[in-house]
Amino acid sequence: MARLKVEGVADILSMAFMFILLVFGAVLINAYSLRPLRAATDRQLELKCEYTYEALETSWVEPYTISFLRAAAENIVLNNPTVPGPYLHSAMENALDYLSPPGYEISSTLTSDGGTLTFNENKAPSSKQFVRSGTVSIMGAGGENVVVQVVIKLFSVS
Amino acid sequence: MKTSDLGVRMTLTQILKMLVACILVITFILVSASAYRRHRTISSLAKLTDATSSIVTQLAVDQLAHVDETGKKYSYALDMVRLENLKFESEIGGENFEFQISISYQGSENRRFGPEPPENSTNCSLIVACSVWSNNRFQLAKLGVIAWRV
Repeated sequence: MARLKVEGVADILSMAFMFILLVFGAVLINAYSLRPLRAATDRQLELKCEYTYEALETSWVEPYTISFLRAAAENIVLNNPTVPGPYLHSAMENALDYLSPPGYEISSTLTSDGGTLTFNENKAPSSKQFVRSGTVSIMGAGGENVVVQVVIKLFSVS
Repeated sequence: MKTSDLGVRMTLTQILKMLVACILVITFILVSASAYRRHRTISSLAKLTDATSSIVTQLAVDQLAHVDETGKKYSYALDMVRLENLKFESEIGGENFEFQISISYQGSENRRFGPEPPENSTNCSLIVACSVWSNNRFQLAKLGVIAWRV
């Protein structure tokens, strides 16, 4: 009789264990099943960051005939840039706000030996951010080639 | 306890155990089937998302890229004139997709080109920054693509 009771408890324990395994497995499957979709969405955001960089590198600041990034680089390197600083700041921040996807913000930072220029600096990046960096070459006042580092960040706002 | 009582109780216990085991097995099969169906749906959505990214890149880098008089191609700068000869379908990874394009400038309305997406089909939309060659200027714009399987 005592043996029968011990066997009964063992059966119940094994069934309970199987049940726990089943629940745990189901939770795990559901948690990981969304990963490919999240990864695809992240790839799209990375693409958006890349396109933002390319658009700023190509598009001209109204009404000038110079691109946003080149105008910003000139503002660091040259004493008399094509686009005046305050106007460029306003135009660049308007452009970044216009290009930001819903729920996200874009900031850009240009750095060279002459200094640093940041647009949308007040917006703090969250843990999830996508970065595209590159360089812009500008002819300095003395005829030398000056390389300006550009970093574009796309980040979610919480 | 009599031997016959013990036999009945053992049979009942065995039936109950078998029932619980069957329920566990059926639940396991149902969970596995549901997970497989969900995985297929999500993989299909992820493929559609990647296909949309691919279509956007094809358009921005090649099909709609502005080419100047000297033959120099400007990737990521779209030429509206090239929209006239554009086919709004693409084959990616052995699957056929159709798409609709929308282009908007800063402070202007969205302009749509191509067929309307079907209501009963899953579609994916992607909007990226770009530049548009218009009025002899490179203007800041947004390129939107809505793609769906044919």
